[in-house]
Amino acid sequence: MSGERPLDDALSALHGQSGRAFWRSLDDLIQRPEMRARLAREFPALAGSAGDWRRRDILKCLGGALAIAGLDGCERAPDEDALPYVEQPEGEVPGVARLYATAVEMDGVAQPVMGKTRMARPIKLEGNMRHPASGGATDAFTQAALLGLYDPERSKAPLFKGDETDWARVDAAMAGLRATFDRTGGAGLRLVTGPVGSPTLLRQIGDMLARWPQARWHIWSPLPRRTRALRLESAQVVVALDDDLIGAGPFQTYHAKGWGERRRGYQAGDGSALLFVAEPSPTITGVTATDRLVAREDRIGALIAALESRIDTGRMPAGLNSREADWIETVAAALERHRGAGRLALGAHHPAALHRAVRRIGALLGHAEAEEDRGVAQDLSALIAEMEGGAVQALMMLDVNPVFANPGFAAAMAKVPETIHVGLHADESAARCRWHLPLAHALESWSDGRCADESVTIIQPLVRPWLAVRSRHAVLARLMGDDRLDRAIVRATWDLDDARWRAALIDGRIADAAASPAPVPVPANRSEGAEPPFPAADADGLSVVIRPDPCIWDGRYAPNPWLQELPKPMTKIAWGNAIHVSPALARERGLKNEDVVRLRVGDRSVEGPVWILPGQQRDTILLHLGHGRTRGGRVAKGVGFDAWPLWNAEGPVAIEKRDRTERIASTQHHFAMEEDEFVRFVNAAADTLPQEPPRATFFPSQKSSPAWGMAIDLDLCIGCNACVVACVAENNIPMVGKEQVAMGREMHWLRVDRYYQGSPDEPKHAFQPVPCMHCEDAPCEMGCPVNATVHSPDGINLQVYNRCIGTRTCSAYCPYKVRRFNWFDLTGGDPPELRAARNPEVTVRSRGVMEKCTYCIQRISAARIEAKKEDRPIADGEVVTACQAACPTQAIVFGDTARPDSAVAQRKADGRDYDLLREANTRPRTTYQARIRRGDTT
Amino acid sequence: MTHAEQQEAAARRIVAMPARFPAPRMWWAMFLVALGLLALFLVSVAVLFVRGPGVWGNNIPVAWGFPISNYIWWLGIGHAGTLISAMLLLVGQQWRNSLNRFAEAMTLFAVMCAGLYPILHLGRPWRFYWIAPYPSTMGVWPQFKSPLTWDFFAVLTYLIVSVLFWYIGILPDLAAARDRAKARRWQIFFGLGALGWRGSAQHWHRWQQSYRLTAAIAVPLVVSVHSEISLLMAAGPVPGWVSTVFPPYFVLGAAFSGFAVVSMLTVWLRAMLRLETLVTQRHLDMLGILLLATGLMTAYGYLAELFTAAWAGGREAETMWDRFVGPYAWSYWGAVILNFAPLQALWWKRVRVAPVALFLIGLSVTIGMWLERYMLLVSSLYRDWLESSVGLFHPSFWDWSLFAGTLGLFLTCFLLFIRFLPVISAFEVREAALEDAHG
Repeated sequence: MSGERPLDDALSALHGQSGRAFWRSLDDLIQRPEMRARLAREFPALAGSAGDWRRRDILKCLGGALAIAGLDGCERAPDEDALPYVEQPEGEVPGVARLYATAVEMDGVAQPVMGKTRMARPIKLEGNMRHPASGGATDAFTQAALLGLYDPERSKAPLFKGDETDWARVDAAMAGLRATFDRTGGAGLRLVTGPVGSPTLLRQIGDMLARWPQARWHIWSPLPRRTRALRLESAQVVVALDDDLIGAGPFQTYHAKGWGERRRGYQAGDGSALLFVAEPSPTITGVTATDRLVAREDRIGALIAALESRIDTGRMPAGLNSREADWIETVAAALERHRGAGRLALGAHHPAALHRAVRRIGALLGHAEAEEDRGVAQDLSALIAEMEGGAVQALMMLDVNPVFANPGFAAAMAKVPETIHVGLHADESAARCRWHLPLAHALESWSDGRCADESVTIIQPLVRPWLAVRSRHAVLARLMGDDRLDRAIVRATWDLDDARWRAALIDGRIADAAASPAPVPVPANRSEGAEPPFPAADADGLSVVIRPDPCIWDGRYAPNPWLQELPKPMTKIAWGNAIHVSPALARERGLKNEDVVRLRVGDRSVEGPVWILPGQQRDTILLHLGHGRTRGGRVAKGVGFDAWPLWNAEGPVAIEKRDRTERIASTQHHFAMEEDEFVRFVNAAADTLPQEPPRATFFPSQKSSPAWGMAIDLDLCIGCNACVVACVAENNIPMVGKEQVAMGREMHWLRVDRYYQGSPDEPKHAFQPVPCMHCEDAPCEMGCPVNATVHSPDGINLQVYNRCIGTRTCSAYCPYKVRRFNWFDLTGGDPPELRAARNPEVTVRSRGVMEKCTYCIQRISAARIEAKKEDRPIADGEVVTACQAACPTQAIVFGDTARPDSAVAQRKADGRDYDLLREANTRPRTTYQARIRRGDTT
Repeated sequence: MTHAEQQEAAARRIVAMPARFPAPRMWWAMFLVALGLLALFLVSVAVLFVRGPGVWGNNIPVAWGFPISNYIWWLGIGHAGTLISAMLLLVGQQWRNSLNRFAEAMTLFAVMCAGLYPILHLGRPWRFYWIAPYPSTMGVWPQFKSPLTWDFFAVLTYLIVSVLFWYIGILPDLAAARDRAKARRWQIFFGLGALGWRGSAQHWHRWQQSYRLTAAIAVPLVVSVHSEISLLMAAGPVPGWVSTVFPPYFVLGAAFSGFAVVSMLTVWLRAMLRLETLVTQRHLDMLGILLLATGLMTAYGYLAELFTAAWAGGREAETMWDRFVGPYAWSYWGAVILNFAPLQALWWKRVRVAPVALFLIGLSVTIGMWLERYMLLVSSLYRDWLESSVGLFHPSFWDWSLFAGTLGLFLTCFLLFIRFLPVISAFEVREAALEDAHG
């Protein structure tokens, strides 16, 4: 352009003019001769036409353009991603959810689920009720996997040296590598994976190692882990020695389900359900135990020796204190009483010699489990040495992040010419690699997996990937020069005809094991790391215990806000970790919660805030891994400190107090339950609570049918948080971040309170899930000035969001403090990915309104509509709330309390049933069943 | 000059004051400060409306925080104006004539500040009118069992009656100011306000009737409004709130805090506007006595609360103990000490008639009563039933700024009032003086 601006000139011609001389339209303006002249200079092609258009010409032109556009349409193939609802696709009914059996994996263990999709969007995962490994239950990680699918920070395209590239370029590079390895037999190729349970992946890796025999496969799991699940449903006695059996991990659902089954059996008078735990720091297994011994980590060996001696020879060795001796005696007596029906479990991080001793005890008692059931944590030192020696030509990391967990790994990687990271996120390891290939999420890819009960499930996608991602099978297949799609790769593993394949997909498991492929021989060139040194402990000083975080595990779930904001079961800390000390140690060292300390082990140290944990062994210091991610995305940024530097550290342990504090976001600050009986106890299964007459009230009692109600058995609740995340997923509950949680503004509709009774050094713990009580005489309803919280005819305390003006009176008056307020607009700024994850049946709340548990009223409505269509009453068990569905021990029962035969009415008829805060006289519809102290009948 | 002549001269000065203000520099200095605070109010409200109530320190369990405690505090202050003006009018205490006008103005502005708080407090303030019963298309009425609905009626009634009472009271003086004004704009300004008052016997007769009738309505309102406010708390099943002593306790506390603020305003105006002729030592003395009396009654409320808590035991007693030694003990002991310790000096007349001493004691009580409102609200809510839901409340910057902003709103209105309207009821002063002279 010449810099002349024709319009400006034309406009300047108008300056100083007024009245009729003023131009009336742009057309008018353009007709001026000076304007036309300038136009001809600037745009000669237009000069002849501008202003010469007649209406007829325009219509002709429009018609022609339309016809040409139509021609263009003829040539295009229909977009297979689009679902045109103008003509409803066959089988798709808008508003009706579809369920697909599939699974998500953790540490090579598949968690069978039913994925609920609406209009082709996955919106909720439920446990696969037809699968014996879950029975319909899930854990918190599995619930949160849904959000992982929609994570807006997932890798969207391959990266080469940090810059976006496309898969064509990746494929070209892979072809180059393939040619090289075919020539050299794979010399210098190293594959690092986590524990692999997928038969297809095992087959692919087997094929790869057969084709390239010089290649090496490193199965790397940063943490020592259990490799086989225990069958707890048939165990009369379970002894867990520093082993968080029902705590977070790949076997949580299966173990908790088994424990729940056994415990319910005991409640019904069938046998015993004894759980003995010895542990240095309280875990949910310890809280659930009938007898918990507080033991230093390095006392576990002595306890095992004593137990072996006591069972083998009947003698109790010297050197135990009286509490330990009593505990061993009780344990041994219980094991002997239930010969053959006991289970012994020892934490996988304990040395092999102790595991052998435990198996010897098992053999003495006639226990079936005799084989090794743990996997040693592999340190990657052999690989690091090879890399530093220049022996590694190409390193491929498949869905693992060793750089975060291994301080030396990154430096060694610099010596490797070709590095490839395959993962969901561009994490710490990806940042050090030449290539980063985005991995498809389990819920959008075909795969298969082995469940906790050893059965095999097919993983089918709930949705087509919307990012340029590939599954792990596709990535390996392309490397090997195989262009097949995921589905074909997985199908090739299984020798199933179409009917059986369909049945396997529908059921979510392969019914008969005969179809199972020949077991892949453990590759000879698999690298098994050396046994790590036992974690740091002074002989009589402090003992540092490092465990995965119960909510974000080893850091892999750190980008997931549902899990970051999930309060840890024992401490109720969200968003971050702490240096946990015992009350006695805190007193001795003058430490308070949130004081920052530097914890030194030998020459390594970490710095973090202190949190005092009642029930922790006196000299034990507990740290949680997984925080302090440097490349965990926006969610994990700046959350907590990294405890990996102390992993396997040796040397004297020291705590130095710094003169500053760091805020810890905890959702519960007071845990001691003194004379208050929030959680009530009875001694044995047949015992009942003292019966009290109903309190006087002048309100009429609510008689309706159905009369919805809930019963929560505190004897079955293990405090695992699965219900909390299930509630978040079902009810579109927004996350608020660390600062707001610290202020007391978390939004969880269902919380799990934790209490302890007795001395802080060795207290009795208890968990109590608290949803809305749906009081019949609800103080909130009396307080609301605008009728925004009212009672439904079927006894539900409703919250009408669009009537609420936010006076917060209901919350001030609520004795249970279960109401949550939208202090800000918590949902309006969500990115489109997160909006897609929302449940369309539940209103997304705006700023300034109160919200709370609705008993999953959307599920009640759905059941009512179905029942009405069929002209029948709603059947018992037809409405399952999200929390109830997720609960692995079936502690939560929901239903119509007006029907005496309903499961919930029968629970409430139990002598252990009680109202929380009975003195408030609110007549709650949610009631609790007291915990039972004992686990046997004798 | 005789006493009556002095009074007459003073009354003339009062009426002429808007046109010839005695302390313009001082007024401007104060007005600028007040405007600054008012600007802070506007900023705080804007931030609140844009971002939401999360800018405050409120949380679960302390869902009510500063807005409600400040609301109660402001409304309590307002009550003293009504009591001084209406109650003393009805019982024929003529010394009130020197105080009633600005005490009533104080009531108005305090009720304004108070009335804004519950609206600002809402999560969705633009829907505040849903508390009002009106035939909406939704067919939904307010929930009449809620103390907040009663509150809406109580405060609205109180505001309307206070405005009426104040306006009826000021009518004759507006006419006098109109008649005396030289400048045209003042004549129009006061002329419009005077509603054509000509001072005929008929006018005076009607005026007497309506003024006394409004006063008779206003006095019971003081009791009902603040009793109702106390039900915001007392109706909720919260330990530390659910107590039958609350209504009288709140009313007395309200009068107490109000008299404290009236004392401060009296001392200030007396000095700034040189009103010693009209506001004499006797007035200071009477205010001191009222402050002492209501203070002692409030102290009785404290004792009654202690007794009921100890007698009820359980959570009530725990909450009381927590107020003594818990994290909000400073607010409890602050309230007790500031409310009742300096107050005891008022047993001596020498202190009562000393303006500075009276001002300082009034200030102490004003702060003490603010602490009491805060303590009652926060120390009960932060720890109510379940140990698991204990949570501390820390006011944020925007909590404080909004509070300071309402002080600015009050001061701005009050300063405009003393600048442009007769601060003392001149005709009543004159009437009383005449009656004295001829009676």
